[in-house]
Amino acid sequence: MKKPISLIFLVIFMIIILSIIKTVVSGRLSTSGVSLSKIEEEINNYKTQNIILREKLLTVSSLNNIVSKATLLGFVEKKSEFILSKPLPLAIKQ
Amino acid sequence: MIWRYRLVLFLLLFSFIIVIARLFYWQVVKAQELSLLGQSQYGKTIKIIPQRGEIRTSDKFPIVSNKISFLLFANPKEIKNNTLTKLLSIIDIDESSVSAQLKLDKFWVPLKSGLSVDEKEKINKLKLPGIGFEKHYARYYPEASMAAHLIGFVGKDEAGQDKGYFGLEGYYDRLLRGKEGEAVQIHDAIGRPILAQADENTKAIDGSSLILNIDRSIQFMVEERLKEGLKKYGASGVMAAILEPGTGNVIAMASFPSFSSENYQDYSEDIYKNLFISSIYEPGSTFKPLVMSSAFDAGLVKPETKCPICGGPYSIGGYEIHTWNNKYYKDINMIEVIQHSDNVGMVYVAEKLGVDRMIDYIGKFGIGDLTGIDLQGETAHPLPPKNIWYPVDLATKGFGQGITLTPIELLSAFSAIANKGIRMEPHVVSQIITSDGKKIQIKPKELGRPISESSAKVMTEILVNAVNKGEAAWAAPKGYRVAGKTGTASIPIKGHYDSNQTIASFIGFAPADNPKFSMLVIIDRPTTSIYGAETAAPIFFKIAKNLLLYYGIPPSE
Repeated sequence: MKKPISLIFLVIFMIIILSIIKTVVSGRLSTSGVSLSKIEEEINNYKTQNIILREKLLTVSSLNNIVSKATLLGFVEKKSEFILSKPLPLAIKQ
Repeated sequence: MIWRYRLVLFLLLFSFIIVIARLFYWQVVKAQELSLLGQSQYGKTIKIIPQRGEIRTSDKFPIVSNKISFLLFANPKEIKNNTLTKLLSIIDIDESSVSAQLKLDKFWVPLKSGLSVDEKEKINKLKLPGIGFEKHYARYYPEASMAAHLIGFVGKDEAGQDKGYFGLEGYYDRLLRGKEGEAVQIHDAIGRPILAQADENTKAIDGSSLILNIDRSIQFMVEERLKEGLKKYGASGVMAAILEPGTGNVIAMASFPSFSSENYQDYSEDIYKNLFISSIYEPGSTFKPLVMSSAFDAGLVKPETKCPICGGPYSIGGYEIHTWNNKYYKDINMIEVIQHSDNVGMVYVAEKLGVDRMIDYIGKFGIGDLTGIDLQGETAHPLPPKNIWYPVDLATKGFGQGITLTPIELLSAFSAIANKGIRMEPHVVSQIITSDGKKIQIKPKELGRPISESSAKVMTEILVNAVNKGEAAWAAPKGYRVAGKTGTASIPIKGHYDSNQTIASFIGFAPADNPKFSMLVIIDRPTTSIYGAETAAPIFFKIAKNLLLYYGIPPSE
């Protein structure tokens, strides 16, 4: 019976190739934890910045702030009102 | 020789048994403990804190949001001698207590909570060994102390976890708080995080947010008017609430003196209660519309019915009933009884109603029961049982003395007159938004019909007349039909009524023909005048004018 030499070589070659691939991939993957944690840190940093900016935005757009700024600018409360409850006494050209 | 073989065999077997027993001990008995020990060497459990839900007004503005704060902690075994001195130059901490903490034989001690981002950055720049931070979320109030009684505050429970107390924070605590998550971060031999994570992670679920019926502009305006009133009339307290009669939606609610939800610890615990839903008082004349409309509904009196006992003081059960100003009008009709706020006239109406019908009607108006408002801390005083209603009790309850209720009970009942006789459940929250964006709408809830639509219409016209011709006519906005009633209730102190200490109030709705709002204003012990017409009514009408303009409602007359 003829030995399947080519098949044996192919299997050995595949084992060597796959071992090399595994070594390379594992080597790269083992350091991706550090990169991942950096990315996560960056995301958290952006989230924190967003919350801080939102806090500032809400403070600026609060009625308390608007009223105090308006008072400083000299705005006062309107004491009388003008209401148009009836049609204006104007002739409209048909 | 055989005994030697046997000895060797026995020793070998004995050794095997010892080894197997030891293996059983490590692998079965101590398995879990060793597994945890191993896990602690290659990873650490991280708590994922959820964000508490926001509380937003009807314009979607968050009056309660979250801000980032930090807990400063230390490892006493790693810190250096000058650490405390350096920390003291940046943050305000109690030197003696922190110094004691740092001397403890522990790996983790908390030093200060609630640090801002800026403070954290400043400490970080010092690069102090053995010092670390834990990120937390704290409540943030963009409108400062606005609607503090409605909101409540977030404190700590027995386990040190955040918990809402009073108002919306208390009532909706479970929805707002969310669910804490957990993750295990695996690291290598020198502590660098690696990709793999343990299986038993649980995800944090953020709290749901609440959208309120509260209109931020109206709430702000009402609070300003109440603060002015408190000062102007030298009162002990002042409160008001505005409802939408058709839906029961609470548009604004405020009470003073108030507190700051952020620094609630700085205030007395008595101030935390929202008096509009938890204080029990005698309503006085503001209760008369409920009794009068009940008598109309039962067909016992008509607007033109004359009062045969109104010519002078009325004696009943050994007591003498007087009018508030000791003026008596003979044979006045029911319209004038309300216009003059005539106590004797109301005794006549109450006697016509009788105890059974009185209990039945005011029960249908919701008096004596919780209204069901979605705020923590609502109370109610049940109506006294029928067998202890003496004739004088029926008489005094007819004009709102000798009966106790909360302001929200009265406003909810009175709003039924504005809503064609239908009583609605008062509600502060209009919508709940879950963390995954699902919107849950809270629909208006009908609580019953205490009086018919026609009785409500008749009562409305009588209340419009009371505003136009009554004691508070001077303060009413010109051109608008406002239905309302003043109230001046004496305060019972040690078994008698003190005539110099009153609870002055005004209740009403507008526009009378198609009410957009109903409102109750209460002033506790005003000193400039004891009467509702001179204190509560001006505040009511000032707010009403602002509301009519805000809603763009033109005058009808």
